[in-house]
Amino acid sequence: MAQAQAFETDFWKDANLRKVWDEIVPGEPRKTIPYTLTKEAIELYCKSVGETHPLYFDEAYAKTTRYGGLIAPPSIHIMLMFSCTPADDWMRSPGTVNAGQSWSYNVPARPGDVITLQARALDKFIKRERLFVVHDNVFFNQKGDVICSGRGWTIRPA
Amino acid sequence: MTTTFDSLSAGDTIDGPQFSVSRESIRLFCDASLDYNPLHLDDDYMKGSFGKTQFGGVIMHGMNNFGLISRMITDWAYPAGAIHRRLETRWVKPVKPGDTIRPSGIIKAKQSTGKSRWVLIDVVVKNQRGEKVATGEAMVEFPLDLFCQ
Repeated sequence: MAQAQAFETDFWKDANLRKVWDEIVPGEPRKTIPYTLTKEAIELYCKSVGETHPLYFDEAYAKTTRYGGLIAPPSIHIMLMFSCTPADDWMRSPGTVNAGQSWSYNVPARPGDVITLQARALDKFIKRERLFVVHDNVFFNQKGDVICSGRGWTIRPA
Repeated sequence: MTTTFDSLSAGDTIDGPQFSVSRESIRLFCDASLDYNPLHLDDDYMKGSFGKTQFGGVIMHGMNNFGLISRMITDWAYPAGAIHRRLETRWVKPVKPGDTIRPSGIIKAKQSTGKSRWVLIDVVVKNQRGEKVATGEAMVEFPLDLFCQ
């Protein structure tokens, strides 16, 4: 189980194991890892973007809302993308440039959720000499509910 | 005044939070997002050439913009009992340490469907020079069974 403590922060390590643009096959599933979302990981993410809403921090308050308990901000998928993928996933390739993203939100992620990811490259193309990959991603909770689904456009290192 | 679906009009604006970008804020976003791409850590790496894209120094994660826009949308939606349902963004210009950025939104349209009500919002993030660094569109649901907080 990949948890934050064991997370490899040196993205150069294993770089030779990652698929380059030529090797990425649109439609082929990426390897993913189940991840247990913690309150601490949510709080650290909130701190990094200045989120202060009590829905993310105050259990007593959160229980009075439509959500019935603590939730993570919708954009927590930014972190889940890395926590749910292994070190040799090509999204980590140094030089990967994010060109755009679109995400749809269904149910919120919550502390304690065991989150799984289904992900694949959907398309790849060349535009103005740049190597693009379109990837699609769906995160689920332990009940099989869709948390969110998203598509991203990245420019791959040459 | 509390925002309601009926009271909203095209052209209404949403002000987002100002955010000061520094090496420390970028490093914190690395730790929080687990995205340790050297684009955000290593000036020397950024002097190299890769993929025809050059930034000339570390840049903020594009997804930090995304997180700030999302924060603006939820902080606006929650008090109205509304739900952030979608966000699409494109990065227009890199953001660097020393920049100050701020997202904002303009209501573009609202629409009722068979079972709910939806608001479309054009969003933009600008830097301290007024330059657009990110643009996009958000969709917020105003459920019929409003549960105001």
